[in-house]
Parts: sequence; structure tokens; C-alpha cells
Amino acid sequence: MNYLIYIVLQIIVIIVFAPLINGVIRKIKALSQKRKGAPVFQMYFDLHKLFRKTTVVSETSSWIFKAAPLVFFSTAVTAALLVPVSTIIPQPLTLPGDFIVMVSVLALGRFFMMLAGLDTGSTFGGMGSSREALISSLIEPSIMVSLFTIALITGSTSLSKILFVVNNSETRLPLQVSILVFLALLLIIIAETARIPVDDPSTHLELTMVHEAMILEYSGRHLALMEYGAAVKQLTFITLLVNILLPLDGMISRAGIAAILLSLLFYAAKVLIAAVLIALIEINSVKLKLFSIPNLAALAFILSFVAFLQYFVLGGNHV
Amino acid sequence: MSDIFDTLSVLILMTAFVLMANKKVKAYIKTFRVQSALIALSAGILGVGAIVDEGRYDLMVVCVLIVILKVIYIPGLLHKTYAGIEYRTEKDFILNIPILVLMSCSLVVFTYFSLSASGSINEGGIDPQLVNTISVTMIGLLFMITRKKAIGQIIGFLEVENGIFITAMFSTQGMPFIVDMGIFIDMLTAVMIMGVLVFKINITFESINTDRLNKLKG
Repeated sequence: MNYLIYIVLQIIVIIVFAPLINGVIRKIKALSQKRKGAPVFQMYFDLHKLFRKTTVVSETSSWIFKAAPLVFFSTAVTAALLVPVSTIIPQPLTLPGDFIVMVSVLALGRFFMMLAGLDTGSTFGGMGSSREALISSLIEPSIMVSLFTIALITGSTSLSKILFVVNNSETRLPLQVSILVFLALLLIIIAETARIPVDDPSTHLELTMVHEAMILEYSGRHLALMEYGAAVKQLTFITLLVNILLPLDGMISRAGIAAILLSLLFYAAKVLIAAVLIALIEINSVKLKLFSIPNLAALAFILSFVAFLQYFVLGGNHV
Repeated sequence: MSDIFDTLSVLILMTAFVLMANKKVKAYIKTFRVQSALIALSAGILGVGAIVDEGRYDLMVVCVLIVILKVIYIPGLLHKTYAGIEYRTEKDFILNIPILVLMSCSLVVFTYFSLSASGSINEGGIDPQLVNTISVTMIGLLFMITRKKAIGQIIGFLEVENGIFITAMFSTQGMPFIVDMGIFIDMLTAVMIMGVLVFKINITFESINTDRLNKLKG
């Protein structure tokens, strides 16, 4: 019975608030351009509108086109269930090696999205899919290396165990490792959620779009699921970033409802910091051309690899 | 305390990687500025420690000198040189950037293994600061030989100098003051001469591609 409550809490926190993060980032961007911008809750209105609209499906497309939004959204939700929002709340899904499951589940969703992009046979879909394949294959090694570095140091591959170790005030991550992994994960988030140096989320310019090109053929309910899934995936990655690298839960000594609320408050503040950081990066950088993305990916990989090397150099002692 | 220096040495190593992954001259100068600022910060922290513990002020003077010379003066000089010449972006590399970055990474591994092989330096466990800072020197050398334009090579030279300086500072906790001064004056002269030379090369050959100098050979 208790577990049901925790699952509901986890779902509410990540899945309900996911579109809000997009709204916050858009609002900060708008304010930086001296515009008023759309309200913070705009994405909820958009999703509401899209869910009521008629869904148009191309006659030439196969079942993959209709299945892809469902697969994409459900993989994003599964991944969201694997990343704990707080150490005070016991995890609904804990298994050893669950960050590998998380990365592979997200890869499955992305695979179906790429297939759907190819399925309709439009030129943009195919182009977007091939670009997405390039970016994801470049960025995936750095996700694995940075998460494995943390797993080696904390001595566990289970995300909730990692969070528990990291949040314990006696067993912190070494400062240099956490700075490097933080920067690496920030670059990974930017690449994974199609943000500016890699892809521009707010444009439909043919030459540059990646994520938008794949979901160009979608409409109505399907489009809503795709957009929502992307938002959930983004909040999942941000949760991973802030909970591993900005641990604050160790400061809460009490238990019970008040502690859970306090930890969720901390969590909200941390996510807000990350959202502001991402917005600042978006404001201050220009979109890279496609062939410069390998340079960024190389840098992300090096950041995580040097973090791994620091662990190695420091003598490989467990925390 | 050594945790802070470990972190600073890692950040300095990171700026070396960022320098390697860049190809715009403006970004070179900016990254070099950040690298020098980090070195000045480490010198400052060491300097505060030296004042409190031993009453020595020389490291603080070194810190101020780094800020004046490497954070303000030399980048400004490079900006001036760069404004006078044609190109903005490095276009032809000997190898492409991802491979260069991975090679720099293997240099870090190489440094680690060569330091662990020379047993006399490390008493029980290798100093991560030493590995990081010597790697900066190595990456600077790689940077120098893979950039074809003179201004990239100047940045590479300065990076090598930064690497040697920070290695010496971390391993000795502050060199004799006279040595520091000697290094600064050497570097300043070298950069000024190089700046003038880049100008001259540009005027004479209408390009600062050093490959073209090879045509002068008979």
C-alpha cells in the first residue's frame, strides 16, 4: 500500500511537472530577449489542445508510425520511474544496474522515434532520423562513462543506492569528479533534449532541425505524446544531474511527511537551478553546424573520461 | 586543502582540452585567459597560505603578476595582433578535432603511466595534481604542432609555459622568487617577439600560414 503512494508521488513529481520546466526555460529565454513571452504553463495548454485535435495519419505509413508515440512516451515514463526524485522516498523500482536499464530504455524510445521518422518516407523524416542516429551514437558513450565513474566510486550500479551513498554527508563524491561529471552531464542533457548548441527546439528551419524533423508528420494526439515524452525525458535527465551532483537530502535528519515535503522542496529548487543554467547556455551560444557536433561530443566524452581517470589516479578507493 | 588544488588542476587540464577542441582565434584567447585566471587563483590560494604560515609575500606578488601579465596584458596583445591579420578561424588541421582531443586524452594516460613508472617522485601513490599539470604541458606541445597558423602556435607556446609553471608551483609550493621573475620576463619577451614576427610574416607573405615559409628553402 505504501509503495503505491510512493509510485504516485514519483509520477506526480516527474510527469506532472515535466512540461513546466520547458515553460520556465522558454520564459527565461523570452525575458533575456526583452519579450514578455508565453506564460510558464503554455505547454500544458498546447498539450490539452493537441489531445483534443483530430489525428491525421499518412496512408502510406505502417503500424510503426502509430506505435512510435506510445513507445516513446512509455519508455520516457519508465525511465522517469527509475530515477529517484528524493532519497527520503523509497524507490518503487530498484534493481542492480538500473541506470543501464534507464539508458537502454531511453535508447529504445529513440530508436522507435527514428523508425517513425523513416516510416512515412518524407525527406525530412529520413534526414532527421539520420542526424539523430549520429548525435545519439556520439553522446551515448559519455553517458555510460560518466555514470560508470560514479558507479565505481559509490560501489553500486543501482541509482537509488548511488543517491543514498552520495547524499550521506560522510561519503561525498570527490569534488573534482563531481565537477567534471556535472559538466559532462550538462552537455549530454543539451544534446539529448535537442537544445541550442546541438539543435534548435523553437524552429522548423529545414536545414538545421533534428528532433522536429522526425516528428514533422505527427499531429493531434500522437504529436502531444511525442512532445510530452520529450519533456519527461528532459526532466528525467535533469533529475539525474541534480540528485547525483547537488546532493542536499543528507541535511534532512527527520523522517515522515514533513521530511518528504522538505526534500521535494529542495528538489524543486535544484531543478530550477538546472533549468536556469540550461536557459543561460541556450541564450549565450549559437547553434553549431552539424559537423561541429562531434567536437562537442568529444569534449563531453573527455570530461567524463577525465573524471574516470581522476578516480583511477586517486587510487581507486571506494567512498 | 589538497582537494581544492586537485580540483583546480583538473579545471586547468579541462581548459587545455577546451583549447584543443576550439578552432576560433577569439575562443583561443578567451580560453587562455580562463586558464591563466585559474593559475592565478591557485597561486593566490597558495600565497594566502604562505603569508599565514611563513610570512612570505612572494607568492602573492606572483599571483598579481600572473593576473596583470597573463590575464590582461598578453591576451590584449594577442587581440591586437589578431585584429591586424586576415583569418578568424583555423581551417586546415593536420588531423580533425575529435581525433586530436582523443589524442590529448591518451597523453593524460601516458603521463599517468610514465609518472607511475618513475618511482622516485611519488612516495606511496601518485599526486593527481602532478599528472594533470604535466598533461597540460604535453597537450600544449600537441596543440603547437597541430596548428599551422602562427597565432595558434603562440597560444600553444603559452599553454606549455602555463603547464610548466603550474607544475613547478604545485610540486614545490612556490618556487624561489627570482626563478618566477626569470620565467615571466622570458615569456614576455618571447610573446612580444612572436607578435612582431606574426605581423612581419603577414605583411611579407600576406598570410601567417607557416607552411608557406618552407617555400623559401632552395
